[in-house]
Amino acid sequence: MAEYVGQPVLRYDGIGHVTARTRYVDDIQLPGMLYIKVLTSPVHKGIIRHLDTSAAERMPGVAGVITAKDVPGKNAYGLIPDQPVFTPEHIRYKGERIAAVAAVDEDTAMEALEKIKLDIEEQEPVFDPFKAMEPGAPLVRPEGNVWEFNSGKTRKIRFGDVEKGFAEADVIVEGTYTTATNDHAPMEPQVSVAYIDETDRLAIYTVSQDLYFHLGMLTAIFNLPMNKIRYIGGTVGGGFGSKNDIHCDHVAGLMALKIRKPVKYRHTRREETAYTTKRGPWTFYFKDGVKKDGRIIARYVKTVHDTGGYAGMGPYVVDKNSILVAGPYAIPNVWVDGICVFTNKPPCSSMRGFGIINGTAADQLQTARVAEAIGKDPWEVHFINAWREGDLGATQFKVEAAGLIEAMKRAAELAGIELPAHLKAMSSRGR
Amino acid sequence: MKYVLSFNLNGLPVDTLVKATDTLLDVLREKLNVVSPKRGCDNGDCGACTVLVNGEPVRACLTIGLTVAGKNVQTVEGLQQDGKLHPLQRAFHEHYAAQCGFCTPGMLIAAKALLDKNPKPTREQIVEGISGNLCRCGTYVEVVEAIQAVAAGKYKE
Amino acid sequence: MKDVLYFAPTELTEALKLLAQYGEKATILAGGTDLVPRINYYELKPEVLVYIGNLGLDYIEQSDGKLVIGAATPTAKIAASPLVAEKAAALAEAARLSASPAIRTAGTIGGNLANASPAADLATPLIALGATVVLVSAKGEREVAVEEFFKGPGETVLQPGELIKEVRVPIKKGKSVFLKLGRRKAMTLSVVNVAVYVEMEKGQRCVDARVALGAMAPVPLRCKKAEGVLQGCVLPMSALEGAEFLDKARIEKAAELAIAESSPIDDQRATAWYRRKAGKVLVARALAAAAGVAI
Repeated sequence: MAEYVGQPVLRYDGIGHVTARTRYVDDIQLPGMLYIKVLTSPVHKGIIRHLDTSAAERMPGVAGVITAKDVPGKNAYGLIPDQPVFTPEHIRYKGERIAAVAAVDEDTAMEALEKIKLDIEEQEPVFDPFKAMEPGAPLVRPEGNVWEFNSGKTRKIRFGDVEKGFAEADVIVEGTYTTATNDHAPMEPQVSVAYIDETDRLAIYTVSQDLYFHLGMLTAIFNLPMNKIRYIGGTVGGGFGSKNDIHCDHVAGLMALKIRKPVKYRHTRREETAYTTKRGPWTFYFKDGVKKDGRIIARYVKTVHDTGGYAGMGPYVVDKNSILVAGPYAIPNVWVDGICVFTNKPPCSSMRGFGIINGTAADQLQTARVAEAIGKDPWEVHFINAWREGDLGATQFKVEAAGLIEAMKRAAELAGIELPAHLKAMSSRGR
Repeated sequence: MKYVLSFNLNGLPVDTLVKATDTLLDVLREKLNVVSPKRGCDNGDCGACTVLVNGEPVRACLTIGLTVAGKNVQTVEGLQQDGKLHPLQRAFHEHYAAQCGFCTPGMLIAAKALLDKNPKPTREQIVEGISGNLCRCGTYVEVVEAIQAVAAGKYKE
Repeated sequence: MKDVLYFAPTELTEALKLLAQYGEKATILAGGTDLVPRINYYELKPEVLVYIGNLGLDYIEQSDGKLVIGAATPTAKIAASPLVAEKAAALAEAARLSASPAIRTAGTIGGNLANASPAADLATPLIALGATVVLVSAKGEREVAVEEFFKGPGETVLQPGELIKEVRVPIKKGKSVFLKLGRRKAMTLSVVNVAVYVEMEKGQRCVDARVALGAMAPVPLRCKKAEGVLQGCVLPMSALEGAEFLDKARIEKAAELAIAESSPIDDQRATAWYRRKAGKVLVARALAAAAGVAI
């Protein structure tokens, strides 16, 4: 063991990377492979009134066209399977898939897309999650624009009695914070290669970060048992959560099943940026009850997460955010309401931290504001309130192996900040 | 309409049939199966397709294939000599300068272009040399250290 | 897809013949850094590509009191040229700060102008230095001032069949300065860029001043009102007679006038408000550096 523990170990795939022998999915070329391009919605919201792909199908160089009608199984996928592979009727965001063409090359496929006759009845979209929650707002979804958790329209965290905490507080500190949409922008855009293999199984080379999870969804879409799909992954040119959702495998797989020829479907960078899932934008409202000595004794947080046209991992992201947004502090009274709203934008889903990063950003700003309100240094407020061993979190879990204070001390050291002696004397082992 | 494109690729002559609008990246990846230059953006932004044309670094995705007729094109496939890794390849590997690896071929070529002209660059010149190459994993620090190590002569050919 | 024709003539006359023959159907290809992304993304579907990289238009020379730069000269070559650094400092600096190494080796000075981006980095120093472009066609040759070359975003005075042959930069005694503000240090278009040229008689009286702004209007902009308030001004400590002092206040006045002449827009890189604020600071800094005034 001593030869490994504490020793740097060279990457097993390092030589492959520096010699460019590492094979990414777009590096795979199969004999006779055809290229897919997808017709996407030019409008943010609407209803497809007419779709005619016959002229595209007849075009020389085109091997096949697929639409919602060509989905043999369930035309829905996602952690919450609410997004169609191809929308049959309702358009919920600009860039939603309507049809796909396979042709001898991408130029020909692009030309074929122009031959598809598409008539959309455009409807008024809604982009602002707060407007989407207003009565009479355009409906992104027939069931309403607010996601229904098991606990209703909000994800609830209840701990102690916040009203009592506010009443006992010396100061009330409020703040509203927003974070913007982010694109993961991995260096490798989404791509998929699919073919029918020699044993008549559907083989798919994928960039998935989440093979077995996606395999389950694909079996439902293709209406195939798992043993009829060879899902080949392994090498991902960066994902950061964007490859936690399927973007190409379902389209490539459906096309291969229909035309029984090898196909490649890859996003251009612009398609990648415009249509794939994002880190959703958030708004956070905080209200804290604070004692003059620096203790936060009550924290109320209301969050609004914009998940775009489909759920993606949005509700799960709100789950994780709600659990952690009150921060790593021993606050005896916590109330969190997390709201997940649909708008006519590309679906938002996972990205590095599933909403925790955004919550932390808001919490840090709020805690700094708390410090300002009581005339203390933010370090002091963090140290005073930080979880100690055995503290209870807002979801009633018991903090074990606490190390926040030690981590903050080390951070201060690295940042060249001299902490006062009474903070240096603190420990996660007790208050 | 297809044109015959002839050029030197990593020291050997190649001929291939191309369309006027095929980029050098299309030619290398799709026609010749030389896949070290990566298709990251087709827009000249990411640098993953950087190759050398007559010793100068260019974006393969911004270069119309036919314009390299008669020229020398070098890619990462041509970096190894007699089966031995190029000093930059060894340094990148040993400095953990590749994480997902997708930007690595472009980074290596950008680094080679820099060192060929300026074998002893300052840290600032190295940063400038790779300023057109994006890495989303965030290996910039390791990449700079790897290039510094080569420039310092720690990886002799 | 319709077949696209490709020509790579090796003589200028041959190229002009092709451009005359294909007229509007012809697309001139040089470094490709602006053109090829548009082809890759099907925004531009060319019919005939005429590559001008083999015409021998890649040169930097000094002749007749001018710096003459071939249209197909790569930005990297301009950035590395000691001659350009000595005779046209602002142009050298703009070339050095543009894009990133692998774009600079391909992108050309002619292409940067012909693409007619309001933010074109090389346009502002050329305007400030009073440069001209030589346009050639099968019918003949004409010379146009760079400040009159642009008509709007992506639009120039170039006619079908016409080609930029070279850029001529008068070699003058004064000092030129280029400053660029981008969202980051490399691989970025200007949020605003500024080029100025100032000539000081005996190092004390301003006898010539030119101010150009990039990314602040539909075209790279020359700011004549700003220039006007600098003419004839003398440094505060000067023994020379002058209309006004060339001091901090005067420079700030010129910067204010330059911004007043501009019409920036909000876009993904910056708001018009920010461009005005930052542009004013940049103009003042550039003028101060060129005139030798502390601000």
